[in-house]
Amino acid sequence: MRYEQALQLVYDAIDAVNPQLPQARRLAKSPATIIVGPSGSLDSLGIVNFLIALEERTGDALGTPVQLLDDTAFIDASGPFRSVDSLAHHLVTLPRV
Amino acid sequence: MKGRHQIYFIADFNVETLARLIANTALPGAETRTSPFGPVVGALAAGAPGPEWAAVVWARPEAIVESFARALAYDQADPQQALEETRAYAAAIATFARGARATFVPTWTLPPWHRGYGPLDFRPGVGIAHLLARMNVALADDLRDVSNVFVLDAARWLTTLGPRAWSDKLWYAAKSPFTAAAFEQAALDIAAAVAGLEGAARRILILDLDDVLWGGIVGESGWEGLKLGGHDHIGEAFVDFQRALKGLTRRGIQLAIVSKNDESTALEAIDRHPEMQLRREDFAGWRINWKDKAENVLELLANVALGAESAVFVDNSAVERGRVASAIPEVLVPDWPEDPAKYREALGSLHCFDVPTVTPEDRSRTAMYAAERGRKDQLSAAGSLTEWLESLDVSVTVEPLSDANLDRAAQLFNKTNQMNLTTRRLSSSELAQWARAGSRELLTFRVADRFGDSGLTGIVGLDYNGAQAQLVDFILSCRVLGRQVEETLLHVAVLRARGHGALELVADGQPTPRNAPCLEFFRRSGFHAVTDSRFVWNVADPYERPRWVTLRDQSDVAAGDR
Repeated sequence: MRYEQALQLVYDAIDAVNPQLPQARRLAKSPATIIVGPSGSLDSLGIVNFLIALEERTGDALGTPVQLLDDTAFIDASGPFRSVDSLAHHLVTLPRV
Repeated sequence: MKGRHQIYFIADFNVETLARLIANTALPGAETRTSPFGPVVGALAAGAPGPEWAAVVWARPEAIVESFARALAYDQADPQQALEETRAYAAAIATFARGARATFVPTWTLPPWHRGYGPLDFRPGVGIAHLLARMNVALADDLRDVSNVFVLDAARWLTTLGPRAWSDKLWYAAKSPFTAAAFEQAALDIAAAVAGLEGAARRILILDLDDVLWGGIVGESGWEGLKLGGHDHIGEAFVDFQRALKGLTRRGIQLAIVSKNDESTALEAIDRHPEMQLRREDFAGWRINWKDKAENVLELLANVALGAESAVFVDNSAVERGRVASAIPEVLVPDWPEDPAKYREALGSLHCFDVPTVTPEDRSRTAMYAAERGRKDQLSAAGSLTEWLESLDVSVTVEPLSDANLDRAAQLFNKTNQMNLTTRRLSSSELAQWARAGSRELLTFRVADRFGDSGLTGIVGLDYNGAQAQLVDFILSCRVLGRQVEETLLHVAVLRARGHGALELVADGQPTPRNAPCLEFFRRSGFHAVTDSRFVWNVADPYERPRWVTLRDQSDVAAGDR
């Protein structure tokens, strides 16, 4: 998967989760947007909903189920889920069927 | 539920995503609150936060009905016992609902991967799906007469999304059985139901003609060349769309036409094409000409006495949709598919027509508008207004509020804007509760004339306080304005006030952006205007009934000078 395609998948997941957020806290579709971390807009339920939406979209794109949601998603502010950019880079590493 | 919406959630799973979707998107700014985790029945017993709160009560069937939990585990379960448990749950909801503005109860569902007993799963006495269906029906049946409880069809939300409505992963991670996408569907329906309760449902659908009601350009091909019905899949799609529109009229939604066409050519197609499902009498009005469509929409709405916020505009041209949407932002202008095969689906997916009741008046509204056109034609032909009024043979029937007319009365309370003295918005249960108080009376008025029966179209609410009677409600449907029914309502109100020993009848108007016509009527009614919005009548003086109106009083009013 190319980075641009991965970025679009993350943006699609943002579109899916934004209706749950107040206007002022909605996630911007930008590589710099924080997903996990103290300055992020999503709480734990928001992160779960976001990652499940992203799993669906990524699975469709790759043609195989993917698993993104794990325990570290909530706590690792330096891991692959910290921002839109890092998440897109993470998706690029996932194997295609 | 005026002002800020307040929605309370009771669920035995994590319903926070639904609450967020409602507060942030479906009903922006709504205040939401969620009951603490725990048994739903316990939360129901604790009651709603307040009578202004609407509630969503959503439980998993296996958590409510123990017999169903056994059935779900393929254990022996007594279906009758399951139904008894369901009825106990319905009774708890009914009790809870007395303290809430409205209560929404999604039906019980099973995820699509749950195959139960396979080919036996809908066999009575065996199947799990069959048992759940019976439980849902029992729940709905037992709540049928609780007017502020609405059992919502959750299966529709979930089948829209298929397997992606459920997520075991979400269940294990967040104790939520449904995905956010499923909750979005629920939020849309709940918001539509709340809007319907507030009288904010749309009431008229304004349609283009060419490539909307039929395929092709009637001005070029003539009605004989249109794609409509026949052995043609596009033609069939237009016929089905028209049938769906016809169904909408039976729910009380008006149809109208705004089309750039030659009027006589277009009407000829409506009258003569053998496959037309909609005929001239199915439309409340039309503007078929070459003028700007936004201008035509406004003229048409003025003619049928509806505001722009009551209207939906459907046109296959994105340019025309954009024009109307920008010129009249209150009109709902949905995106419209290019493929006629998707028209019926696009119509059915609109949430804006949801109302809490469907009354006989709704079902016959199209005929009422056709009758109104007859009246207007007659007025044009009459020599004078008096001659016209005399020719109408208007009769007004007064009836007390009752179970039989409660829903329609509540509908009038919540839908009438222009001829509405105070614009109180009350649900059926609130209305019944108000009218039950000893010193109060709520009268309904049915209006008919030689062109047809307009149904229950007027309301007078009175509060008797010794020497003073307060006209709390004075509501009249725009449909019967101008036939001096207004004066007839005042005539009856004065009679009632006198019968209750009052010396004066006081009407305190509450000005709103929409009820200026009502206050203007009172200013010229003969009532003494104490202020711009306070009007008083000395009830020792009779308020004359218009002589061409026949009054039939089926309430228990003292006869007096009827």
